[in-house]
Amino acid sequence: MLQNERSLEMTRQQHQTEYVVRCLFERVGVASFVGHLDLMHTFDRAIRRAEMPILYTQGYNPRPMMVFALPLGVGIDTLGDYVDISLSRVVDAEEFMEKVNNNLPRGVKLYGGINIDEPKNSLMSVVTTAMYRIKAPGVQDPMLRLFEKDEIKVEKKSKGKIVETDIRPLLLSKAQKMPEDKDICELYVCAGSVKNLRPDVLMSALCKYEGYDEDAAANAEVTRLSLFGGEYPKLLDIKELL
Amino acid sequence: MNQVKISRKDLMSVESPGRYVGGEFGSVIKENVLEQLEKTGTCKEVRTAFCFPDVYEIGMSNLALQILYKCLNDMEECWCERVFSPWVDMDAVMRKSNIELYSMESKSPLKDFDVVAFTLGYEMCYTNVLQMLDLGKIPFRTKDRKENDPIVVCGGPCAYNIEPMADFFDLAMMGEGEELIVEVTKIIKKYKDEGKKDRKKLLVELSQLEGVYVPSLYEPVYEDGRYVGLNKLHESAPDTIRKRIIKDLDNVPYPTNPVIPNIRIIHDRAYLEIFRGCIRGCRFCQAGFIYRPVREKSSETLCRQGIEIEHNTGYDELGILSLSSSDYTGLKELTDGLLEAFEGRHTSLSLPSLRIDNFALDLMEKVSQTRKSGLTFAPEAGTQRLRDVINKGICEEDIMKSLSLAFAGGWSTVKLYFMLGLPTETMEDVEGIADLARKIEKLYFDVCREQGIKARRPEITVSTSMYIPKPFTPFQWEKQNTKEEFLQKQSHLRSLLKSKNIKYIWHDVETSLWESVLARGDRRLCDVIEDGYRKGCFYDAWDDHFKYDTWMETLTEHGLTWEMFAKGFDVDDEHLPWEHIDVGVNMSFFKKEREKAYREEITPPCRTKCSACGAQCFKVGECYAPK
Ligand code: SF4
Ligand code: SF4
Repeated sequence: MLQNERSLEMTRQQHQTEYVVRCLFERVGVASFVGHLDLMHTFDRAIRRAEMPILYTQGYNPRPMMVFALPLGVGIDTLGDYVDISLSRVVDAEEFMEKVNNNLPRGVKLYGGINIDEPKNSLMSVVTTAMYRIKAPGVQDPMLRLFEKDEIKVEKKSKGKIVETDIRPLLLSKAQKMPEDKDICELYVCAGSVKNLRPDVLMSALCKYEGYDEDAAANAEVTRLSLFGGEYPKLLDIKELL
Repeated sequence: MNQVKISRKDLMSVESPGRYVGGEFGSVIKENVLEQLEKTGTCKEVRTAFCFPDVYEIGMSNLALQILYKCLNDMEECWCERVFSPWVDMDAVMRKSNIELYSMESKSPLKDFDVVAFTLGYEMCYTNVLQMLDLGKIPFRTKDRKENDPIVVCGGPCAYNIEPMADFFDLAMMGEGEELIVEVTKIIKKYKDEGKKDRKKLLVELSQLEGVYVPSLYEPVYEDGRYVGLNKLHESAPDTIRKRIIKDLDNVPYPTNPVIPNIRIIHDRAYLEIFRGCIRGCRFCQAGFIYRPVREKSSETLCRQGIEIEHNTGYDELGILSLSSSDYTGLKELTDGLLEAFEGRHTSLSLPSLRIDNFALDLMEKVSQTRKSGLTFAPEAGTQRLRDVINKGICEEDIMKSLSLAFAGGWSTVKLYFMLGLPTETMEDVEGIADLARKIEKLYFDVCREQGIKARRPEITVSTSMYIPKPFTPFQWEKQNTKEEFLQKQSHLRSLLKSKNIKYIWHDVETSLWESVLARGDRRLCDVIEDGYRKGCFYDAWDDHFKYDTWMETLTEHGLTWEMFAKGFDVDDEHLPWEHIDVGVNMSFFKKEREKAYREEITPPCRTKCSACGAQCFKVGECYAPK
């Protein structure tokens, strides 16, 4: 019976190589309207339904061992996020993805997975940069003008107090090849646990500095295209940052 | 095909947009129906919108929804989708942006469905039914609906006295719905095939099905402000409507592939229903009578289904569901089987409604991998006298014995549930609640001393709710306590429970006063409910949104008072608004039980001795088990 098979596997066998599966994933459409924690639950359940031998943390409150590169905000699509999933035995990444994909809700899909050893640096710590695509009426020109500013002050709530911060240093660059469609803007921004620029904060700066329409900003379609490590402009592929 | 569109801005402006988007694993999209709809705007299948009149997180925790969703979608000739009540913030957005209420699956407007089916689990959701019809642009009243409007139906425990909502529903289904909803859908399919010609004729035809009540075929009669019975408006309308039950639970469809929400919900776990009904017959408890007779599923079926559900859902918790799990005859086999199957899989069992004994403590130890959870008791009344009145077969000695075991086993958290305002209750009974709590506190320290356990601070919680007389119970004729009586009892108890180890939780009195009106109300309330809704009442089940004063004021405006409903009924010469509904248990049995209550006599559980309550008419279950 399936049940017993998986349970044997869920007990960790030490010193396995390549027991972590590092996958890219996309999340689009209605699936984007759930929060990050809910997305983690969704993955957890899909992996359990697929009977993949995910490992659990030890201790009081065992949690499935899954590490996401960068939290994904509600309402944001992604085409290139990363997740590391630890397994108790080696499952070929292709097989893993196929089985889990059959069990994920519409709009969420794993791709481009590889088998790796337990990474020395946690996935979360290697992310430095994200590339976003923002789609909204005439957004490209005003967004590019933001890059000409010396400072961009936005108000942020921090520990109940409102503080002003300058987000200009977090804006890294526009895309090498900007789409011809003026309703689309693609750009690199700081991302990760040290420095991070949230797309909604960027949109509010756009409204403040460029007088961009608030409604149009609220209706903008934001897609995270990819994540990188390294330091801009020398970006590194996350797959290789073990 | 019509699809409701919501802008990103609108969706992102509300709390938890995940409530409104669908796309869950296990949700059913019938591509063949969608295709027809896209091509022609219509389809041959019956389209049913299963409506839950509360927020998504509560609706998705409801087993009835998952069961009936499956039953309907298993039918080739039907596509069932889900619709939930938008929360207050979304309600405002939808009104402002003129967005119609839509289904989770295809995002179709509610009014495009053939059937709009509500499940009514509690009276306080009534205004949300109106909210959903309103946002769905469906006429509120049966009499105003045209041939092409959806057929608006309901089921669930509140359907047994649907009179306060009778004008809004085309029909109500009594009892367990798995078979009946399929029969109803088949007849509606024929109506649709024939081009939806005669709505009245359809309703008359549906009324011939056992378990279907079509309120518009009857008219209530009042004399001197009192309800005196129903007049039939159509010769073929049945005199009484008997509830439906499922005879063989082992072979009824069960949702082992339920819809798995993408966001966290109230009860975020898989469910296994182990039996229906309750052998006990506590006299205040509607569930104990309306679900009679007790019918069990076999432990083999349950083990199989439990394993299947755990695999299919990926949930790490399986909830065992019933009114009183300890009364399940195969409990040991079932829990042993499941615990073995889940060994090492990081899946836990949850077993609410267990009676605490050796077996239960042992089991609780095994099922909860983490800390010892609290123990729950529901003595309901503070003295043995009153517990005899309500036929709560639990005595102080039982409680003390189980607690000694539990305290010796290291437990220190106890929750005790009571009701205030039970028939014949005196202040002495109220004081009994405090006495019991204090005895338990003392017991904890005694046991610790005897066993040489280092005493911690025990956590004893006393929780009281307000007794609401419900239809189809021996107390259905009783008077409810007044607001002043309730408040007096609460504050007296508060003054008696001042120990630092005892926490007292009391519930809002006003909600219970209104719920009581709805529970035993009649059709005069339809206008009141609609008016209250128009004045802004909805989400009444949520204390923050409940507007007591508006309701009382609206009652008065309609020439009615709280007392008229709360004072109850004269047993011998008054009619009950729900007396045309037959739940199996006879009125004469309820009367006898009421008399026994006043004599402080108990009635044994079905399993010990059958009291021939009437439910034997269904010819199955506990009534025919050897005693
Ligand atoms: S034990 Fe009593 S209160 Fe509980 S469900 Fe049964 S009849 Fe109702
Ligand atoms: S007929 Fe007897 S066994 Fe059956 S429900 Fe009634 S009292 Fe219980």
